[in-house]
Amino acid sequence: MNVGVAHSEVNPNTHVMNSRGMWLAYALGAGLLHIVLLSIPFFSAPVAWTLMNIIHNLGMCVFLHAVKGTPFETPDQSGTRLLTHREQLDYGVQFTSSQKFFTISPIILYFLASFYAKYDPTHFILNTTFLLSILIPKMPQHVRIFGINKY
Amino acid sequence: MAMAAEQWVLVEMVQALYEAPAYHLILEGILILWIIRLVFSKTYKLQERSDLTAKEKEELIEEWQPEPLVPPVSKNHPALNYSIVSGPPTHNIVVNGKECINFASFNFLGLLANPRVKAAALASLKKYGVGTCGPRGFYGTFDVHLDLEERLAKFMRTEEAIIYSYGFSTIASAIPAYSKRGDIVFVDSAACFAIQKGLQASRSDIKLFKHNDVADLERLLKEQEIEDQKNPRKARVTRRFIVVEGLYMNTGTVCPLPELVKLKYKYKARIFLEESLSFGVLGEHGRGVTEHYGISIDDIDLISANMENALASVGGFCCGRSFVVDHQRLSGQGYCFSASLPPLLAAAAIEALNIMEEKPGIFAVLKKKCQHIHKSLQGISGLKVVGESLSPALHLQLEESTGSREKDVQQLQEIIIHCMNKGIALTQARYLDKEEKCLPPPSIRIVVTVEQTEEELERAVSTIREAAQAVLL
Repeated sequence: MNVGVAHSEVNPNTHVMNSRGMWLAYALGAGLLHIVLLSIPFFSAPVAWTLMNIIHNLGMCVFLHAVKGTPFETPDQSGTRLLTHREQLDYGVQFTSSQKFFTISPIILYFLASFYAKYDPTHFILNTTFLLSILIPKMPQHVRIFGINKY
Repeated sequence: MAMAAEQWVLVEMVQALYEAPAYHLILEGILILWIIRLVFSKTYKLQERSDLTAKEKEELIEEWQPEPLVPPVSKNHPALNYSIVSGPPTHNIVVNGKECINFASFNFLGLLANPRVKAAALASLKKYGVGTCGPRGFYGTFDVHLDLEERLAKFMRTEEAIIYSYGFSTIASAIPAYSKRGDIVFVDSAACFAIQKGLQASRSDIKLFKHNDVADLERLLKEQEIEDQKNPRKARVTRRFIVVEGLYMNTGTVCPLPELVKLKYKYKARIFLEESLSFGVLGEHGRGVTEHYGISIDDIDLISANMENALASVGGFCCGRSFVVDHQRLSGQGYCFSASLPPLLAAAAIEALNIMEEKPGIFAVLKKKCQHIHKSLQGISGLKVVGESLSPALHLQLEESTGSREKDVQQLQEIIIHCMNKGIALTQARYLDKEEKCLPPPSIRIVVTVEQTEEELERAVSTIREAAQAVLL
């Protein structure tokens, strides 16, 4: 489904991540963020990568796992009011390609960040905590641990 | 120099890889395994549907008996034997070729045949043509629509009003625009069919309370409050609404609005008031049940009414605070996705509002006539009056039902035929029997208008009395 095309989907959030060019745009956006971080003169390469990792994971956490519902009204009388974007993707079908892509990309970033940090212990702790914080919400079940963000 | 620096960094990096701590490499190994598992896993749905075997499918197909496309209906079904009206349904109505006095149409203020209203409609017809051929968003908004919305907002003393092109879909679109899945609506059990359809479309939790019983509503609100205290986070996201009618069409009673407003502030619910029958009838200037009780209009969150009764036009409107009514401009399904009101009907409604504002005395006249007929109809043997004395639409129900609804309907129909032969046009209150939530008992609905003279009222009462005696005794 492309942007700006007439469609009969009840909730466009379900297929926005599958649309043409979305993955490329996301990769380019992440690259742009990294270039911005690298151009700040007093960040060394490991710090820039770790910061990149942290900001990227935080951003993904907020937009895909924290914010619930839709910013527009849907014709199904707000059936997805209590669902995060991740749960809305593809109407609840698990392990679709865009879900796999978005689960694998923080892991790739983690590999790169640890490589450029020369496996330094401090950086390791920071990067690993943030990686776990983004991987745990991506488990394929509609569960809210400790009731966080349930309503 | 830069190239050499980069190469130097790369060599150091690769060296660091060889000297990496073991735990880190183990973690990275686990992550790589996880990626491989992810890439090769199949998509599946979370809730598995139970698959039937081929044999079970065959069994189910054999068992199935198709229902007839058209269910069997008796020949005497009222929808198949309707009366035909020739000419306008004004004070004197010609039913099936016989001239009668109209006690059935909701023409409370007699504006249906008013020459000023007709002239305004004809002038608008000459200027704009007949229809609008478009919804409000696609070149269907004319200046008469905006004029009518302004006039209605000014008349009802609210900030804004919005016009719908069909009276039934006014409240049926307004409720689902605000109340969604997970919200709770407390509605009176005698609510009209349009409200019921709006509630069904909203997919919210519906809680019915007994008709006009504030104690029952308070009990339901208290139960909800206890539930809310058990789960305060869920309660913070659920919206609560109370939907009532100003003057109920099914029972002819007025809702106890002051107590409802007190409950609204105590239990934090929002009130939607449906004023189809009370607009242009109750209150000193015809502003409805809020003026009747002297309640400030800001206490009611949304007032919805249809213009097909007192205003003698077509369509409906909702009025209230600006930010409440504005929401319907994009979310009101009947507003966005239906063609807008024909301009001649909007012009007729504006002229009707002008007449209502110029002559506020008609409301007192109507009230007196309602009280008169209410008193006169008491004591008819076999029929009891249901409705308050200031309601212009009363119901006459059988005092003792025969036990079957069909026979009751038949008896009432015989009374009506008897009255029609004597020149009084009456009708039964009709419902979709299978679709109503709380089906009211069959009744004759009598409508009082300002155009009926005292002697016509007396004549109607005596005709009904004779008919009741002839048929029921």
